Amino acid sequence: MSKLKATSKTVTTALHKKYMWTGTRAIAEAVKLADVDVIAAYPIRPYTGVMNSLAKMLANGEFVAEIIVADSEHSQFEIAKHASAVGARTFVGSSGVGLAYAAEPIIVTALGQLPVVAIAGCRALDDPGNFGMEWNDVLTFRDHGWLMCWARDPQEALDMTLVAYRVSEDRRVLLPHFVAVDGAAVTHVSTPVEPPSKDDVAKFLPAYKPLYPLDPAYGPVTKAQHIAPSLIGPELRKVVDNSMAKAEEAIQEAWEAYSRFVGREYPPFIESKFMEDAEIALVTMGAYAKDATHVAARLLEQGVKVGVMRLRYFRPFPKKELVEALSRVKALGVIDFSYSFGSADASSVLFNEVRSALYESGSRPLLMDFMFVGGREPSVGHFEQAVRLLQRSAEKGKAEKHVLWPTLRSEGS
Amino acid sequence: MKTLISKYDQLNWVIIHGRGVLNTGHGSTLTHTLATAAMLSGRESYYYMRYDDSPERDNIPMIFYTVIGNPRIEITLHEEVEPVGEIFNAIVVMEPTILISQTSQRALLFDGAKKDAVLVVNTSLSPKEVIGLVKKRCLAQNWSGKLVTLRARGYDANIAFPLLAALTKAWKVVSLDDLVNALDFSGASSKAGVVRKVYSEVEPVDVRISAAEAQMTRARKSRQTCTLKKGKWDLNSYRSYQKAAAKALSYAERISAMPSWQALPPGLIEFGPLPGEKNVGFTTSFARYLRPMVNKTKCTDCKLCSLYCPDGAINFDRVEVDLDYCKGCGICARVCPSKAISMTTEFLAAEGLSEKEIVTVEDSLVEYGY
Amino acid sequence: MSEYSPIKTVGDVSSVDLYTSGHRTCAGCGAALGYRLLLKAAGPRTVVLGPTGCMYVANGHQFLSSPYAVPWYHTQLGAGGAAGVGTAAAFRVLMLKGKRKKEDVNVVVYGGDGGTGDMGFSGLSMAMSYDYRRFLYVLYDNESYANTGVQASSSTPWGASTTFTPSGKIKKIGNARMKKNVALAVAAHPGVRYVATATLFPPLDFINKARKALEADGPAFIHLLVPCPKGWFADPKYTVDLSKSALETGLWVSWEYENGELTLSYRPEPRKHVKAYLRMQKRFEHLNDSQIEEIERMTAKEWEYWKQMDKQRKIILPWNAPPWA
Repeated sequence: MSKLKATSKTVTTALHKKYMWTGTRAIAEAVKLADVDVIAAYPIRPYTGVMNSLAKMLANGEFVAEIIVADSEHSQFEIAKHASAVGARTFVGSSGVGLAYAAEPIIVTALGQLPVVAIAGCRALDDPGNFGMEWNDVLTFRDHGWLMCWARDPQEALDMTLVAYRVSEDRRVLLPHFVAVDGAAVTHVSTPVEPPSKDDVAKFLPAYKPLYPLDPAYGPVTKAQHIAPSLIGPELRKVVDNSMAKAEEAIQEAWEAYSRFVGREYPPFIESKFMEDAEIALVTMGAYAKDATHVAARLLEQGVKVGVMRLRYFRPFPKKELVEALSRVKALGVIDFSYSFGSADASSVLFNEVRSALYESGSRPLLMDFMFVGGREPSVGHFEQAVRLLQRSAEKGKAEKHVLWPTLRSEGS
Repeated sequence: MKTLISKYDQLNWVIIHGRGVLNTGHGSTLTHTLATAAMLSGRESYYYMRYDDSPERDNIPMIFYTVIGNPRIEITLHEEVEPVGEIFNAIVVMEPTILISQTSQRALLFDGAKKDAVLVVNTSLSPKEVIGLVKKRCLAQNWSGKLVTLRARGYDANIAFPLLAALTKAWKVVSLDDLVNALDFSGASSKAGVVRKVYSEVEPVDVRISAAEAQMTRARKSRQTCTLKKGKWDLNSYRSYQKAAAKALSYAERISAMPSWQALPPGLIEFGPLPGEKNVGFTTSFARYLRPMVNKTKCTDCKLCSLYCPDGAINFDRVEVDLDYCKGCGICARVCPSKAISMTTEFLAAEGLSEKEIVTVEDSLVEYGY
Repeated sequence: MSEYSPIKTVGDVSSVDLYTSGHRTCAGCGAALGYRLLLKAAGPRTVVLGPTGCMYVANGHQFLSSPYAVPWYHTQLGAGGAAGVGTAAAFRVLMLKGKRKKEDVNVVVYGGDGGTGDMGFSGLSMAMSYDYRRFLYVLYDNESYANTGVQASSSTPWGASTTFTPSGKIKKIGNARMKKNVALAVAAHPGVRYVATATLFPPLDFINKARKALEADGPAFIHLLVPCPKGWFADPKYTVDLSKSALETGLWVSWEYENGELTLSYRPEPRKHVKAYLRMQKRFEHLNDSQIEEIERMTAKEWEYWKQMDKQRKIILPWNAPPWA
């Protein structure tokens, strides 16, 4: 679904070579192309492949970086944070409970405004152990100042990683960045990927130059001292808040530049299919947008006016674009691979963000939450059913039940 | 937007100053007993050590509060009670050198005090001497209140009890009977005798000092304001912010010297001194109540004192004590092989006054029964 | 050990402070004194990582104030090892790739016993298993989590009163665990190039060990006993006296380990009875004479091991029957 745009000025050749790569392998390629300096590794499924690939590349001298095998995810993310403070471009990542173990440095990295880029290989959280896919592992950190984007396939995972470095290191932003890839669906399935050339990347991504490097050659920088909140406190939070606000324009500009230098174009915040006349919409993130789109295309043939919106960014949350796109939609279904136990209506994270974004908008479509939790894979049948339910509810003007667990085995259903 | 409601209107607020570890036990006993006395007389009361000072640190000034409702307390008490405005009805000073240095928040002693506040000082100085020091060192407004001075250790090793009695005599918000009830309640009935004795012997005096008489007010009016270089946040602009804040004579001034958020860079960045410089943003003379005196004739210039000062307050080349930073810990006097350093009181060295309510940490730890 | 030669007199120590005056530490703070001496040893081409603890909160806790004349970054309580490794890795690779001028830059972590011996043990171990040169982790041991109000850590000695192990009517002993020897555990890491213990006495011992450590061909570790006036409830003026007494009684053993050889730095001959040290600190006030004798017995027994190590120049793990056996 990516369009190759050959302009005479910027893209060097019309056809680049394609490889069969998994999402983790594709991201490793992006890390290499970005000439990352420090990588901190620790194994946990399903993200580990990226580190295996990088370790191999480094062992073969394909690029130069320090790769440190840490003693835990807590150390792993801390290593990345401090390497970034000195002035190294860094890469790190984890999945599931590994991300939970890294919670402390994850939070501190954003509040210290270091442009670390991390892969999140989305995986169901323990307990019990489960290799299935859920988003909660990375969504746990949604409030702490990390940028977050979701890739639909290995190609986009590669592209998003390169753009992540540019946006994170943008001096208006200077916030760390998660590139989330659905466990198994994107991390482990090999699909055709076309990497950009090193030259094109060099034009797109300038070198990382921190504002205040932690380096005696620069000066006596004192970073992150303990403060007294009567003297300074809200002000420090506001700086982070302001940087996140600036991220939107940096993201927009980065994708425009990516299109110019690399030749692949994406709508920055939301990828919409069939939304022009849609009365029913499905909103989701990541790989399963493809299945939802497949279902929408078939239902369109039958005259159902259904469209699909795939949020590429979760942070910053694209409220404006979402509200605009939904202005004529009567019923909206959120396909959500997360839970939020005890939240209003016992719903889920993406659903609550969408609902909150729509609260003040003129149009308030009927909302339904389709929760795919516990790591069980959804089928296109589930999405078709979701559309039918949305249709029926739209006709009635209300939903009988608006939070559903389609893959749940339950008595009487 | 001007606000009409004051957080502190209905409350009786006592602020108690002491030094870390030296007075921790005394302060705990004092505030606990005072709050209990108020509670037993039917009023809601709270007490706490200012959280920001926790852990309290040896010799660093620290603050305790007791708040007594009228009769209820209808607000939340946060650790960061900024001494700005008119809050404190009574000020108790457990360690007298605080009169001539600064409080825990590096504020003037009377910052945040009501104009009719009661001041209780543990000291051997006369009321007249204390009033002189108040005018000189810690008043930047007018004061029309009461003063009680007493030599607490003359009555009891645990100075909390004599000070409570003195406060009760001058302040009247808590009565002597309330206090004695509180002693019974806390298992300290044996101190009732001391408390009654002090109560009968201390004599609060009325004090009237106009703002014009207070040297601090004059000092503040005459000092120049520092114009800050806004815009780029770098070592130079940071230094000018530091220097402006360091000149602050009150907590309100310190706060107003802080940058607004727009001036701040991303990444929690500050700048340390350059090699050879010291931290101009934080001087530590406020921790000192004993001062080292160097006898140059006995000194052999071995430099052990300079090496061993945890605060780097003894110049390595000239063996001179930097009074902006010396905390009076006494290590230099202990390590000097020729006994060229002796410790005197800060009162004597700075003010030429002989203050007898000075005690070492060693003895103080025995005092409050640790 | 290319360029190291010991400083012989106090007058030859650098007069410049890189941990400068102007911090809210206790009067007489042993940890602050250690910091000051450490940075004198390290010099200006140093980056310091400061895990949470007294040496974080007491040195700041304001705004527009900093006592660090070298680049300094906070790190989390258990993250000292990782922070050091991340910093060292960045310098190494940036120099290797020509993104930064090649020169020696020291990476120093100054972390407390709580953050290093407990929470950060695994990160410390990881740091000691890599090969970064000019990498020194100094554990400042005040034998408690002092910053949070003197709670017991695994470095708190048996019989010490802390706020998590107070002496009471039923549980009288205070801390019932034995002090763990972090330095010996670090010495067991094959890649570590220099391990030492020290305290604030004799005057030049720690500074020289720190200087030597930074010249080692790989990661280095120093376990520094720092008396703590507040945590140990001793008068601030006795901080150096306590260091000396710890050595004289054998309750702290000062040694160096490099190239597989152990060398004692101080031999208490004759060793003084532990009560000389214990009775200076009110955290041991609740101990009765037989408990003090128990400490004396354990110290004497352990000291026999150190005498053997001194003779054989090898590490032999001390074994003591714990007091509850």
